[in-house]
Amino acid sequence: MQRATRLDDESAAPGGRRPLPRPPQIETGPVSSDWRSVLAERLAGAANAAGAWGYAAVSTGCAEPTALAALALVAQHAAPLRVRCALDWLAQLQRRDGAVPVSAQVSSPCWPTALAALAWLRCGSAADGFGRRIAAAIDWLLETRGRAVPPDPAAHDHDTTLGGWPWVTGTHSWVEPTACAVLALRAAGHAAHPRTREGVTLLLDRALPDGGWNYGNRRVLEHVLRPFPATTGLALAALAGEPRTAAVDAGLDYLARELPRIHAPLSLAWGLIGMRAWNATPAQAEEWLAACARRLLERPVIPHYEALLLLAGPEKCPLIVPG
Amino acid sequence: MSPDRAGLKVGPMNQRCAAPGASQGRGRLSRRRLLAAGGALALGWSVAGSALWWRRRENGQRAAVFIGRAADYAADLAALIAAGLREIGLTRTQVRGRRVLLKPNLVETAADRPHINTHPALVLAAAEVFRRLDAAEVFVAEGQGHRRDSWLVLDESGMGEALAQASIEFVDLNHDDVEPVPNAGGWTALDQLYLPRTLRSADILVSMPKLKTHHWAGVTCAMKNLFGVMPGIVYGWPKNVLHWAGIPQAILDISATVRPALAIVDAIVGMEGDGPIMGTPRHVGAVVIGRNLPAVDATCVRLMGLDPQRVPYLAAASGRLGPIRAGNIAQRGEPIAALQTRFRLLDLPHLRAMQRA
Repeated sequence: MQRATRLDDESAAPGGRRPLPRPPQIETGPVSSDWRSVLAERLAGAANAAGAWGYAAVSTGCAEPTALAALALVAQHAAPLRVRCALDWLAQLQRRDGAVPVSAQVSSPCWPTALAALAWLRCGSAADGFGRRIAAAIDWLLETRGRAVPPDPAAHDHDTTLGGWPWVTGTHSWVEPTACAVLALRAAGHAAHPRTREGVTLLLDRALPDGGWNYGNRRVLEHVLRPFPATTGLALAALAGEPRTAAVDAGLDYLARELPRIHAPLSLAWGLIGMRAWNATPAQAEEWLAACARRLLERPVIPHYEALLLLAGPEKCPLIVPG
Repeated sequence: MSPDRAGLKVGPMNQRCAAPGASQGRGRLSRRRLLAAGGALALGWSVAGSALWWRRRENGQRAAVFIGRAADYAADLAALIAAGLREIGLTRTQVRGRRVLLKPNLVETAADRPHINTHPALVLAAAEVFRRLDAAEVFVAEGQGHRRDSWLVLDESGMGEALAQASIEFVDLNHDDVEPVPNAGGWTALDQLYLPRTLRSADILVSMPKLKTHHWAGVTCAMKNLFGVMPGIVYGWPKNVLHWAGIPQAILDISATVRPALAIVDAIVGMEGDGPIMGTPRHVGAVVIGRNLPAVDATCVRLMGLDPQRVPYLAAASGRLGPIRAGNIAQRGEPIAALQTRFRLLDLPHLRAMQRA
């Protein structure tokens, strides 16, 4: 294959080119309570010169890690100038039609639009002056709809005609982009908008019969599929403020069973955010988060993981929009 | 809905298949209908026509494929892989100083279903062999299709622990920097493909799939495994853009564009039935190695007791991406008949043509 330009700092190459730290099951001792400030400081220092974060240290700035980092730093009352830079960078990234693409390198897909809107909406005074940006992003979200297809009961049992949000324009609706869009629309005061309601309906429809959510298929052909902790947490966060249904209870039960064995930051963080949205935070949550933080600190920064861990703490989480 | 910008033109003009498992639009051909209509011919003129055309060209193509016997994952897999690489003509000179990317299949994990994913023992064995052959670097990379959380997938599959013990780096291709490259295949309507920068920086890409049936494509092996190099931040979870573009067509386009140097297939315990994630384990006891991916996949399909000509993506690849006809594949190691194990496909209309083979 053709050899491409290598990054200057190999240890910080895309995706993190170091062995994965082992799960910290053995490390159960007391954990320093200031891991959040350590993580927040490290996260703030990982922004690139343009004021954005990539998915790994020294990688291209991307909308998702930048939005999450801004929200996490606000939640920690840390680095306000960094937060402002991040919000400005997201504004520069925004297209004329209001959509925010994955990065400056690609003009689509634009699934991070919801996260950018959340950052502009939920970063407090740092977000002053982004009204037009928010309005354009929300308009784009309201216009964007996952591709519906006629029902095919032999293949699927979810309602394929519901219009949630897709990862990529022109494709089907899935749980994560729909949950993020619902969170953003709620934060923008559109909880009662028909599109938000349809998104909520879609999320409830995609709940797995035995509890939890996966990427968005309940059944394919003969088999009911397995739930995932991260998408379950996201869906539960998006449903906060809705009536407590059997799907919510089953999702919370699934996370209560699953999270004690999880040491991966993305899944643990979203799982805990989802549980906290329903006031169901497990007693051991802080211990789990600290162990996960310790695991992260053993390697070069992964901004969106670190941001999510910071957002999953006991402080007020800007991702959760009460009903 | 209007197509989005920047090459991801997923709109009505591109609709050759429906969303994964979902029905097709009225009056349009769905993936299921297409496949049900009878193998390569059902893929429409673009695929079937090219298959017929290029099959004539296969006369000039030859590829060597090695089949090694390994009863289980405790076997000396490094020795087996080393022997296989020798048999197919991969030399130390071709590996020395190169950066080798091992791409296993880690599509989704479940505690009681290790047969979903490429076994860590095989990946470690391959890494050991390439290190012995003086590779400058050996690392593992994956962009799994269902779960976004790579750390969780690595934890649950046991791959993370194995890689840590062997000091092998892992790269998350789903969240890598990306760059567009022209689509070298042309089977889908995608003008360009976004590839992870890490992929482009590797000298030797090794596809390391699990041998499985696939409820839509029929079979998933070295070529379909390349869906996992496509970055999720661009293609989503699942990589629904590729489904809408047409699974067989996308397999061909990605294979034509990425052009891996080698495949090492985990056919020790495969999966039959409702693959790629919900099927049942099927013991074959083989490791299959080759430098031409259609030839490798065709050999694996024969190991499964199926006919490669009836697997649409292979029929279309024939002659254009490599040979699939038995006469054009130089079989090394164990004969196919010695390890052939009939795999059960789901009883679905679009798979029946493959079953009849």
